[in-house]
Amino acid sequence: MTSSSSPSRKALSKIACNRLQKELAEWQMSPPSGFKYRVSDNLQRWVIEVTGAAGTLYAGETYQLQVDFPEHYPMEAPQVIFLNPAPMHPHIYSNGHICLDILYDSWSPAMTVSSVCISILSMLSSSPAKQRPQDNDRYVRNCRNGRSPKETRWWFHDDKV
Amino acid sequence: MSSTLIQIERWRAYLRENRALISHLRRDLGGRRREKRKTSTEPNPPLPPSPSRTPEPEPNPPHAKLAREAADASAAGADAAAPVPEEAVMGEAAAAAAPEALLVEGGGGEGMNPNPSGGGGGGGCSESVSVELSMGGDYYHSCCGDADLDLRAPEGPKLPYVGDKEPLSTLAAEFQSGSPILQEKIKLLGEQYDALRRTRGDGNCFYRSFMFSYLEHILETQDKSEVDRILKKIEQCKRTLVDLGYIEFTFEDFFSIFIDQLESVLQGHETSIGAEELLERTRDQMVSDYVVMFFRFVTSGEIQRRAEFFEPFISGLTNSTVVQFCKASVEPMGEESDHVHIIALSDALGVPIRVMYLDRSSCDAGNISVNHHDFIPEANSSEGGAAAEKPYITLLYRPGHYDILYPK
Repeated sequence: MTSSSSPSRKALSKIACNRLQKELAEWQMSPPSGFKYRVSDNLQRWVIEVTGAAGTLYAGETYQLQVDFPEHYPMEAPQVIFLNPAPMHPHIYSNGHICLDILYDSWSPAMTVSSVCISILSMLSSSPAKQRPQDNDRYVRNCRNGRSPKETRWWFHDDKV
Repeated sequence: MSSTLIQIERWRAYLRENRALISHLRRDLGGRRREKRKTSTEPNPPLPPSPSRTPEPEPNPPHAKLAREAADASAAGADAAAPVPEEAVMGEAAAAAAPEALLVEGGGGEGMNPNPSGGGGGGGCSESVSVELSMGGDYYHSCCGDADLDLRAPEGPKLPYVGDKEPLSTLAAEFQSGSPILQEKIKLLGEQYDALRRTRGDGNCFYRSFMFSYLEHILETQDKSEVDRILKKIEQCKRTLVDLGYIEFTFEDFFSIFIDQLESVLQGHETSIGAEELLERTRDQMVSDYVVMFFRFVTSGEIQRRAEFFEPFISGLTNSTVVQFCKASVEPMGEESDHVHIIALSDALGVPIRVMYLDRSSCDAGNISVNHHDFIPEANSSEGGAAAEKPYITLLYRPGHYDILYPK
């Protein structure tokens, strides 16, 4: 089941497929609060609706996360981006790329889609201002041709947001 | 309680014995920082590379990928042949050239790191880092991604995950024009050990060395009772993880792949394998990485289960909580292991490990010996026998890297 928009992507390995089926079953039993899985028959690409938590800058607003799984998930991290329009946030670029360490270098197979979602919501909730990252324009300009955020060299140096 | 006292005594002993090591660790951290900074082409002033935080509930403390090749190259001194950024090599070499100074620092300030390390970075302290940390909170510099850089930098030929058995003389040859202390130590090692097996320096070398060494031991001894014993331990590790709140599907695949390997090295089954196949599997990315991840789960579970015991050492080295440490420095692939990880894995599985330290430390002028440390699993009430066991796994440690050693 390869996705139509990225035909070059390799299909899930057997072990990845089994793992994702278990994750999906677990999600359906107890979805993380604030998130809604958009039903699809594509196990390799999940679209998840996230609603901003009450009392935060994003209260009541709804955004969409797109999660693409590599062949060797969970040894390799999923690719997680916001679909357009991405929330205005100092760590979220206008093309939907998210600057969050656990999506890249600090990914561990011990994590799950659900734990990643909770981290992203937490990142939104702690935002002090609706702003783009300072280098948004330069970064987005350089991300031509639907480049994956996993190919970006990220710097993580803010422990406040 | 007396067991707590014993544990405290144990930590003190580690600290006393291993000041040199701790200073190495600090130096390594410094090396990693230099390495990582080097990779930036940002025109901005360098930003602290390691502190990375994720909002709760997935706290993400310091995380620093290893510049393993740099460490290796520095261990090899002037022989550095690896394609390593110049700055890193020189930096490491310079640091290594003054071990005494570092020892003094380590000895005087144990646990009293004056560096506030506000960003949760490693325990290393260098002036430049603290300057950088002061910028960490600058909001507008808080995020940057560089899409111009291609992550897939050209790579030289890589060692297999686990290499072939080599005579110890290859190690001597490697250090031929290196430090006289190291040459002397290699000579001393040669009195007890006659071969070595190298592992790839990708941050997983401790686990891969352990994997191969342990499975090879079972293959050679066919020790069925040891297999039964470790299987029981593995069951306990599973329960530990479940008790800690890990969902079973996140770790079960990793556990079952290790158990498969364990059962395969026992002869007499349809699925039994020999030495050659064991080496092949250890080199197979899927099997090898899954087993590494199995060990990472076991290590993380043990550290968290005995958080009180591990906390003092972890907070001294990294300024992070036990859980943060596990999420950032144990569970992700490629994160290096040090004492904490080795103690935890050895205790959790009940397998003793000997580590021989090939470093530049020397006690007194003219009196060189190769330090070693035996990690003997904590005596378990139900099976005191294992604790008295002599280690059958011996690893060779060079700052930042582990290989397998074979006794004569």
